[in-house]
Amino acid sequence: MARYGMIVDLTICTGCMTCVLACKQENLTKPGIQWNKILELENTALDEITYVRQSCMHCDNPPCMGVCPTKAISKRADGIVLTDQKTCIGCKACIDACPYSAPRINPKEDYFSGNAMPYEKNVAPYRVQMAGKATRCTLCAHRIDKGMVPACVEGCPSRALIFGDLDDPKSPIRKKLWQSKQLLADKGTHPKVSYIVPKNAFQPSEKRVLEDK
Amino acid sequence: MARLTRRTFMKMAGLSAAALTMSDRLLMSRAAAQAGAADKEEVGYQICDACNGVPCCGIKFYKTGDIITRMEPWPGFPTATLCSKAYATMQRIYHPQRLKYPMKRTNPKGSPDPGFVRISWDEAYDITVGHMKRIGEKYGPHSVFFYVGDPKEPRAAVQRLAATYGSVNYGDESSVACRKGALTAEVLAFGYGTTGSPPNKDTKSLLVWGTNPPYSGPANDWQNLLDAKERGVKFIVVDPRNTPTATILADIHLQPRLNTTAALAAGMMHVIFKEGLHDEAFCSKWINGIDELKEYVKAFTPEKTEAITWVPAKKIVDAARLYAGNAPGGLKTSPQGTTHDLNAGNNHRAILMIPAICGYMDVPGGVEEPTNPLEGFGGGWANGPPAFCFRKKMDQMRPHRLDNKDFPAFAELNLDVQVNRIVEYIKEGKVKAFLGWGFNTMIWPQTHEYQKAIESLEFSMAVDFFFRPWTHNYVDLVLPGAVNFERIAPFAVHGRRLFGRTPVKPLGECREDWQIACEIGVKLGHPDIFFNGSAEGACNEILKLWNTSYDDLRKNQEKGVTVPPKRPNTYRKYEVGMTRPDGKPGFNTPSGKIEAVSLILKKHGLTALPEYKEGLKISKEYPLMLLSGGRVPYITHSKWRDDAPWLLELQPQPLLDIHPDDAAKRGIKKGDDLILKSEWGQVRVKAKPSVLVRPGIVGLMHGWAKANVNELVPRQFDPVTGYPPYKEVPVQVIKA
Repeated sequence: MARYGMIVDLTICTGCMTCVLACKQENLTKPGIQWNKILELENTALDEITYVRQSCMHCDNPPCMGVCPTKAISKRADGIVLTDQKTCIGCKACIDACPYSAPRINPKEDYFSGNAMPYEKNVAPYRVQMAGKATRCTLCAHRIDKGMVPACVEGCPSRALIFGDLDDPKSPIRKKLWQSKQLLADKGTHPKVSYIVPKNAFQPSEKRVLEDK
Repeated sequence: MARLTRRTFMKMAGLSAAALTMSDRLLMSRAAAQAGAADKEEVGYQICDACNGVPCCGIKFYKTGDIITRMEPWPGFPTATLCSKAYATMQRIYHPQRLKYPMKRTNPKGSPDPGFVRISWDEAYDITVGHMKRIGEKYGPHSVFFYVGDPKEPRAAVQRLAATYGSVNYGDESSVACRKGALTAEVLAFGYGTTGSPPNKDTKSLLVWGTNPPYSGPANDWQNLLDAKERGVKFIVVDPRNTPTATILADIHLQPRLNTTAALAAGMMHVIFKEGLHDEAFCSKWINGIDELKEYVKAFTPEKTEAITWVPAKKIVDAARLYAGNAPGGLKTSPQGTTHDLNAGNNHRAILMIPAICGYMDVPGGVEEPTNPLEGFGGGWANGPPAFCFRKKMDQMRPHRLDNKDFPAFAELNLDVQVNRIVEYIKEGKVKAFLGWGFNTMIWPQTHEYQKAIESLEFSMAVDFFFRPWTHNYVDLVLPGAVNFERIAPFAVHGRRLFGRTPVKPLGECREDWQIACEIGVKLGHPDIFFNGSAEGACNEILKLWNTSYDDLRKNQEKGVTVPPKRPNTYRKYEVGMTRPDGKPGFNTPSGKIEAVSLILKKHGLTALPEYKEGLKISKEYPLMLLSGGRVPYITHSKWRDDAPWLLELQPQPLLDIHPDDAAKRGIKKGDDLILKSEWGQVRVKAKPSVLVRPGIVGLMHGWAKANVNELVPRQFDPVTGYPPYKEVPVQVIKA
């Protein structure tokens, strides 16, 4: 069985927000919910900005899963961590448990209050976003199941998102894995999303992610 | 079942009954729809208009019936992937506020409420054509101004309409502020327009000046640069901002003070000449005024250049050596970023002289000129195919251009009229009517003066996707334009590849720009010239040039149609007479050479060398320089604020980029309310301390209706291009 993961190359990420919007139109997430967020990390000493993409890390040891009182969170055989919205009670335990601030609670608002967009009608189950429920990146499991890459990966103009099977020695992700590091590895979560980070930006990137809590 | 779960949850969460009803209904309708989902999903192909580039990036979309459901990059399309704005076109198409019907004002101009009411297309056309005929007879056809703003797509169709009607006065967003300023400089210098060519395997160094492709260009453009970096190409990036282009690519990043481009270029040329790094053989044979240029840059020692530009002398020397020492060097300039100051034309010409003196012109890996531009296309939709646009007739009418006196060099070199003095032309009674597609008053400095001028016209009409009060409150008619997914025209052109579009049915009574232009032409009495109002007919007229048709494009939908090149790619085409229309060797300029001393500028009494000229000066009262319009990746102009909330939530308010040191000096913290003011106006903004800008410079995106930065920009214009100083306004920032 595959074990899917992603490398985010922050040395070439431009903060263009394409991945954010590719995800929005793919998954029809609610207002203010960005499954992948771009955090700006300012380095005043070097006059540089690093754009830190933050999302669910699909941890091998997901702390969110253990704390969910209704067992709404599960890990698939291929390592993708999913929340079942029907079972979720919106108690926020997963939010407290996640060091990466990945889960959020869906607001009740829609983008056009009361006006459902035509593309919001008749939607596939993966695009139904229920108010009050915890929500986060699904790694586009519905696309992976069809042999496609996640929408953000397909959309990235810098090719800064490298997706693949971490257990497959031939997968593109394996070739770059040695260059990448896991954020907040000391938390013991074993994230399957890892980062290639500009020089001197690793600890600041970790700090930046923590700040977003 | 869904309902039960929902209710249970709602009780637990203790949410209001009203919210429950609303969400519940939505949920149920979704569930019901899913249960009965039988509609087949189909694919379609479109191009994007989101950033006002043409021919734009390719979208593959999925639809159920006529409803777009999702999208992805068009596989194999030359532009590779999409950007955030392109994805948001899916939200724009179904925006509840989209204009869906023609509207006419019922209250007199100047009323607080224009009183727009819905009318039929027949009435809209009768009103428009009635005014065109009346005004044409009374004041002459040149008093009707035709204008295309954003998107650029309808330019060809609108020019054909203007020419047929008999008005030479066609202008566009490019002739106000965008591409035509730099293009004028390029044509003056090289005899043709170029922003450089993509770096290739032969390129050893690249000079990137004032452009940040990941925020402003198609993805393939950026990917080319990343690949070049990977191959070891040396990058010199000139940009006052710490853009991703500078951070990711630059071996040397030069951050000049605003409007000092010509001085920085002169400083680099000083080093190149002094150290003998230039191509003397090329210079003496192919550059007009090379001795004058050498003489002029003598004074720009690295130290003097540092004093003017704030770029450290050592960096200037290093950059000059890196570029001239790694031959051949390519060039990547902005279509407009370096031309938003009062020395725009000469600033941009100065940049172009750097690859020229190094002898990088049309050598493999240098500044390559295409060998096989698509015949008869005229360089892109920004211009339009000359035959289709009736360019000959327009050229014959040139003496009636409004800009001849104010901006003679610009007027001589461009098909589009410099529009920036339209306030005066209207006051002088030279313009009586204005027909605008995607027309936006916020493009202009001192916007309110243009609003007033437009309001005073006898007739004005605007085609748009939304009602935009800052423009439409001042016009008589507003017509609903079809958005990208609903258009068939124009087809996409990339090099010699052509791609068709598969439109969905427009919402309401929306019609596409080309159709509107053609239907006005029909109503004016020219059904044959305007293909009985058919946008596809108009496209076919152009496609005939290459012995193809829209049907062919449909048959080859995903892959497109390739027009075979006439000859193999060659280089140094100027040596063998492949550059000038008369077939003589040389560049297509009056001297036949690259012109450091421009004979056209000389003829019009303008500065012939690309000289540095100090512009607007900072003072104690206004100690910072404003760089407006530096690209934000998810905004173009005034679009993508309310048009698509997906994007608006990325930045809901106008943010002022200010260096952390400049912010600290003023006690400004992130999110503070600020007043940004110049001698000419002020706006309220939110503080965003950031190293994106260097100390001494603040940055604000244009197009915020409630914080229109162009009210801070004076109505002063560069004499060569006619462009206003969007990027050199002395300002002060204070806490609100």
